[in-house]
Amino acid sequence: MANQNILIIGGGVAGIEAAKGIADLGYKAILVEKRDRLGGNPDEQQYAALTPDLRDTQEALDEMMAPMLNNPNVDIRYNTLVTGASGSAGNFKVKAISAGKEVEMEAGAVIVATGFTHFDPGRETQKYGYYEHDDVLTLTDAEKLLKAHKFVRPSNGEVPKRICFIQCVGSRDRQIGNEYCSKVCCGISSKQAIEVRQQVPGCKVFIFYIDMRMYGYWENEIYWPAQEKYKVNYVKGMATEIVKRGDKLLVKGEDTTMRRPMEVEMDMVILAVGMEPSEGTKLMAEYFGLKQNKYNFIETTGGPLDTVSTNVPGVFAAGACTGPADLEDSVSAAGLAAMKALASVRKSQPVLA
Amino acid sequence: MPVDKSQIIEKESVTVEGIELSANWNRMFEQRVIFDYDTDGLDKVTDLAGAESMGWCYQCGQCIPVCPVDQVGEYGPQKIFRKLQLGLDLFTDDDLWKCTTCMNCLRVCPKEVDMIKIMPAVREEAVMEGNVPDELQEVFENTFEYGNPMGESQRKRADWVKDAGVEVPIMKEIKRPVDLLWFVECYPAYHGRGKDATRALARIFKLLGTDYGILGAEEKCSCDSQRLAGETGLFEEFAEHNIGLFNKYKVKKVLVTDPHALNAFRKEYPKHGGKFETIHYTTYLAPLMEKLTFTKKLDYKVTFHDPCYLGRHNGEFDAPRNCLTAIPGIELIEMGRCREQSFCCGGGGGGMWLDGFMADHVSERLSENRVREAVATGADVLAICCPYEVSRFEDAVKSTGNEGKLLVKDIVELIEEAL
Repeated sequence: MANQNILIIGGGVAGIEAAKGIADLGYKAILVEKRDRLGGNPDEQQYAALTPDLRDTQEALDEMMAPMLNNPNVDIRYNTLVTGASGSAGNFKVKAISAGKEVEMEAGAVIVATGFTHFDPGRETQKYGYYEHDDVLTLTDAEKLLKAHKFVRPSNGEVPKRICFIQCVGSRDRQIGNEYCSKVCCGISSKQAIEVRQQVPGCKVFIFYIDMRMYGYWENEIYWPAQEKYKVNYVKGMATEIVKRGDKLLVKGEDTTMRRPMEVEMDMVILAVGMEPSEGTKLMAEYFGLKQNKYNFIETTGGPLDTVSTNVPGVFAAGACTGPADLEDSVSAAGLAAMKALASVRKSQPVLA
Repeated sequence: MPVDKSQIIEKESVTVEGIELSANWNRMFEQRVIFDYDTDGLDKVTDLAGAESMGWCYQCGQCIPVCPVDQVGEYGPQKIFRKLQLGLDLFTDDDLWKCTTCMNCLRVCPKEVDMIKIMPAVREEAVMEGNVPDELQEVFENTFEYGNPMGESQRKRADWVKDAGVEVPIMKEIKRPVDLLWFVECYPAYHGRGKDATRALARIFKLLGTDYGILGAEEKCSCDSQRLAGETGLFEEFAEHNIGLFNKYKVKKVLVTDPHALNAFRKEYPKHGGKFETIHYTTYLAPLMEKLTFTKKLDYKVTFHDPCYLGRHNGEFDAPRNCLTAIPGIELIEMGRCREQSFCCGGGGGGMWLDGFMADHVSERLSENRVREAVATGADVLAICCPYEVSRFEDAVKSTGNEGKLLVKDIVELIEEAL
């Protein structure tokens, strides 16, 4: 008989949701997390508030995890790093280093939920001087400042008077190799713009963009309030480079609706960095023999109608390890992955009386 | 660097620090690089009650192709928004006075950027600061002093009745309530061609046996266009005056000649205590057309101009057309821009009194643009039902060289012609 345990790799929102789903259905979930905490990027990178509802990240994550933490059906393995896998559907053997010791776990099916990493804007193809200028930040850097309620210029500790966001950094770019849209950055920039306006009302906020991509309700829940209520200025046109001028940053670009060049001084610049597959995602693809797309995200096989099945029977993938995903996408895919993983181990069994 | 010729400005004279520069020094270049987004001007607008939506523009640009002023110049909410982000002070800029509040932009705006509220709010501030084009200021003063924008004598407001050929009941004299109070309004009461239509309407009322009365010399301008041009104080004072008369004469239903009055009475007067129903004369006449006995067939091809404040603003598109098509012989040919898409004559929102000012900003008047469109339909007659239009369009027929090709007639004039 197939092993009916489901092994979930990665304790971010997708992994948590999948583990909860399996436990709620009365099966056993083994949740493997390399850190000593759950919560994935939102926790590790100290997101101040979630997009789109601006709810406090820690509070929202705690609420999500609470029903799972003392559930006997969920076996959480912290500080555990998967190092290899063998076996096949119904009978996987997964090796890991757990607290310095080699361990092996068995499971009937596996859900990979190893997520993404933020694009590094210091790469050589980048022109924004992320590592040269203290006041050039990424969205994740800005999250930390907002979380601490200390939104100041890193260079001198002063409260900024003018800041801007530059969209699509590391996304939609053939030269960088990331041709895809990272999907969440427009929303997160707008969310942060709102938070900046809340925390530093005197600070003017600009967002330079190619297209604003605010899907579904993000349009009216973030984009419109940012502009209408918080008076964030959206300017169509990208900044091309950043030059230091005195203690300011000179942002140079083209204002495309005015069809005029712009050279404007800013106190801080926030780069809306996109998503790339995490190291863990690439390693899991290798260990389990999962097909990856040209960007090294795990490729799912069912097109738009099956967002979690992989080329390996019994191995499913959920969340941002399959490509740019927001929280809503990630938890939705996780629920689907839990259902399909359980179905795969139960398939041959008669319906329970 | 190659010179972009469109960026060159030739000044007639240039004085720099007190020294007049001669010869080629008068060639200036417009600064091309944007060095600052000074959004204080935008914030000043959006902080104003009523003008908040100026900040809602997400630059889709749908307003521009339907903005009448952009057809003859460079204008529209999307462009104003960008200029505001770039430091424009709308409160002192000429752009403040170009909008005719025709509402075509709001009709297509997904974000509901509402120039119908933004313009009067910002203009009110400009009026208080005294930053008003001279010709408009004169109209405000005339209205204040004489009760009408032309500065005609208040006492002569009902002089047109003398030549009406029928008795016109005046409320002060008849001393009894009537079914319908006819609010004649300024242009129909004073303007030469306006009075032609006014008298025709009085004669048609007689034929129909309409129980009505006019306010005569007691009536004062409804002031809607002055309100939209920023004179809120004047508007409120006049609204109270007219509402006082309506109350005094126990008026339940008002018939207006002027769609601008219709707009004021329906949307603004209730805020000041007005409790009465208002209809436009075409709405009144349309169902009664079958009661009129026509004796003549008019051999006219007619095109009809939807007034902004009757159609888009107040939703009446059918009544004027029903009046026209009930006239024997008339063939109605629609212009491309008709009904909801109708093109403004340029008279609304204070535009009626800003032709001199606008001449410096546009390639042709809106009324001229509209007359060209009317002529292109092959119509002999441009039918109208807003008192601003007869003078605007008759002037435009002349200035576009179409005299003899196109007649401008009020719908009531056409009705009477066939009786």
